[in-house]
Amino acid sequence: MTIQIVDWVQTGAMIGGGLSVGLAAIGAALGEGYTAGKASATLSYRPELAADVMKTMLIGQAVAETAGIFGLVVSLLILFSPTSGATMLTGWAYLAAGLSMGLSAIGCGVGSGFPSANACEGIGRQPAISGQLTTLMLIGSGVAQSTAIYGFLIALLLVYKSFPDTATVSAICSLLAAGIAMGLGGIGPGLGEGYAAGKAIGAAARNPETLGVMTRTMLVGQAVSESTGIYSLVVALLLVLRV
Amino acid sequence: MDATGGEFAKGMAMLGAGIAMGLGAIGPGIGEGFAAGKACEAVGRRPEEAGLLTRTMLVGQAVSESTGIYSLVVALLLIFVV
Repeated sequence: MTIQIVDWVQTGAMIGGGLSVGLAAIGAALGEGYTAGKASATLSYRPELAADVMKTMLIGQAVAETAGIFGLVVSLLILFSPTSGATMLTGWAYLAAGLSMGLSAIGCGVGSGFPSANACEGIGRQPAISGQLTTLMLIGSGVAQSTAIYGFLIALLLVYKSFPDTATVSAICSLLAAGIAMGLGGIGPGLGEGYAAGKAIGAAARNPETLGVMTRTMLVGQAVSESTGIYSLVVALLLVLRV
Repeated sequence: MDATGGEFAKGMAMLGAGIAMGLGAIGPGIGEGFAAGKACEAVGRRPEEAGLLTRTMLVGQAVSESTGIYSLVVALLLIFVV
């Protein structure tokens, strides 16, 4: 049995494509399910707010779904890229792209679920400021998505970069390490920022006059929480660009 | 694909850098987010203490950040020195 380079590339593409969409689906589905659960619990004691809560729930779920959609896009890109002219390293790059996108999307999907769920609960408490709560939710979950966007960026870089013909052990390991660094590094900030946004929305719904100071505190806290995600992005870029 | 000793060690150092930074970023990310969330909750209860609470949150997060910076330093050492 002889294994051609094309077979290596296709194998990498199949595993990478599966990892990308499979792992990303975990986070997005958990976040959306948590949102739907809180929305149902809110409606059980405030059924008259069905329209507002449903609207916020759907917007929040759409944001949480973005991480899953990134995973799907990367998966399709990997699976349908041409194998002509590909080198052995391309197959490993596809595998690393799947890890980078899939793992980072887990944290961001779950993280975006916290603000959406607490926004639904908050509207049940303070229906008068449902617009402001939805805005705060969009800001908070948008920031929580940022590491999924870094993961998407690294995945695109890995898919479209051209590689040398000779595959050395250190080049293969560098590509895999870039995927692992960005993928795992995206989980923590995504979860942490989402938790912060969720608590901020819950607190703003209890005490609506603190909405302004709450937005500021939330953004400062999220910015610090983001730093390790940026370190991961830097390390991943260094690892990809040295090949 | 040739795997001489030095080349193999270089490859493992790169893999180590990726694992160090990837796993090292999980803890600070979650911990700092938790600190930020609880600070927001506290600001909601006592809005007049927002300045003090933000300061305390930032000091706590800075300490929590240290392991993330250690991971970054180790990852950079593994990439550039080994």
